Amino acid sequence: MVRWGMVIDLKRCAGCNSCTVTCKAEHHTPPGVFWAKVVRIESGKYPTVIRQALPLLCMHCKEPECEKVCPTGATKRSLEGIVTVDSKACVGCRYCAVACPYGARYFASDWKDYFTGDRKPSSPYAEYSKKKWLEESDKGVVSKCNFCVERVEKGRNPACVDACPCEARTFGDLDDPESEVSQLIKKRRGMQLHPEYGTDASVYYLPAR
Amino acid sequence: MSVLQYEDFKPGARAQMEWGFGGRRRWRDGALLMALFLGGIGAGQFVVSTWLIDSTTSALVGLLIVGVGKTVAHLVYLGQPWRFYRLFLRPKTSWVSRGLIFMVVFVMFGAAYLAPDLGFDWVSWTTDSTLGEIIWLAAFASACLVMVYDGFVLASCKSITAWATALMPPLFFTYAVAGGTAMTFLTLIATGAETIEESTLTDIDAILLSAMFALLVIYIVNLLASTATARESLRKLTTTKVAIAFIGLAIIAGLLVPLMLTYYHEHAATGTLATVLLAASAILELSGDLSVRHSILRAGLHAPVFSEGP
Repeated sequence: MVRWGMVIDLKRCAGCNSCTVTCKAEHHTPPGVFWAKVVRIESGKYPTVIRQALPLLCMHCKEPECEKVCPTGATKRSLEGIVTVDSKACVGCRYCAVACPYGARYFASDWKDYFTGDRKPSSPYAEYSKKKWLEESDKGVVSKCNFCVERVEKGRNPACVDACPCEARTFGDLDDPESEVSQLIKKRRGMQLHPEYGTDASVYYLPAR
Repeated sequence: MSVLQYEDFKPGARAQMEWGFGGRRRWRDGALLMALFLGGIGAGQFVVSTWLIDSTTSALVGLLIVGVGKTVAHLVYLGQPWRFYRLFLRPKTSWVSRGLIFMVVFVMFGAAYLAPDLGFDWVSWTTDSTLGEIIWLAAFASACLVMVYDGFVLASCKSITAWATALMPPLFFTYAVAGGTAMTFLTLIATGAETIEESTLTDIDAILLSAMFALLVIYIVNLLASTATARESLRKLTTTKVAIAFIGLAIIAGLLVPLMLTYYHEHAATGTLATVLLAASAILELSGDLSVRHSILRAGLHAPVFSEGP
């Protein structure tokens, strides 16, 4: 069985936020909703401290806390390991957003225009964007990265992977030991965020040094 | 960048911005806090009123607080209130589902228990009959679960160290019983009940206030001895705006002053003054109950996503 996963090379990531912008363009997320984002962190100890970019997205955990706590069953994990939110079943209680250790879930009470902050779209593009957002998600519900499931089903990579100018992201099957992602994790000691919670994240990070 | 958005990009511990006043939807998000508060005091009032005082009016008020107050607060909070029925679908893994099922069971059995005393003579039981006792037992058990489940909801959030502690359920339960006792006392005064069992209520209250104080001290010590995120939560509880609610309202006004008033009322010059002191103590206790829940919600910090050690 396929288990989709991602490897992010922190040595390559320049923190350009291409992934953030591409994700917004792909999914038309409204202001304040970041399915993909980049956080600046400091790591190491004096005198070898480095400041690096840490791209974040939903970790598509094998044991997702969000799925466990969801009272409606709106959050589901597919057989291929992609965790999705059924926006028609979500009630917007936000238990999942509180329980997610990675801050990957966002609640949008309503769609808002980027430039005016109003509920009314200010341009034809904003109108299209609103329509697409309401098709994909909904107002008053929680949303999150879905590994661009519609692209993956067509055999393509998630948008953030294709957009990364540094080629820091690799997408593939974690269950296949010969896949590029598995090899990278093995050779460069890929690590998961917060392994202590037992979530078994499907996004791995290759250390910056 | 707004403060709320800043939290999303913070490299260190992030404040949870979904539950409690001041969340992403500002005041509307506070409805969840009200739901937790009303659920606790309502169920507590029912338990105290039926078990220790035997007051139908007070028990009914408790039942209405849960059945109407808590339900409305939950609906106001939800992003899609029309889909509320879906909240009951996952009791196997979700504490929210379990809690809401406890709530429905409590309201059903509580109403059934009180029905004969409220003029519904056609029912086949009385409050003193064996069937009535069984119904009361079911209502009592489900009320206790309503009082305690929110502690489990918070304790199930692993990455929020200030919540993920076994202290949460007993803390919320104790506050619910104390809030219920305070509400019972206020209801009895408001309805002009002639036989206010003052000594019973004050004895329970004194024990509960002492237990709450002890639990809060243990909670603080636990935060101090825990991870860096927990210590940051403690710093938030004691040195930021949240400290006004936690130290000022929850500890001083909601615990120490009521404890003092409860002991002092015996020495009051007149019976009326004693009752006034106890009423003031009950109101302060309720404000303390709300404040402690608010403070705990606001002090909820997620551990940093990238951490190199405790």
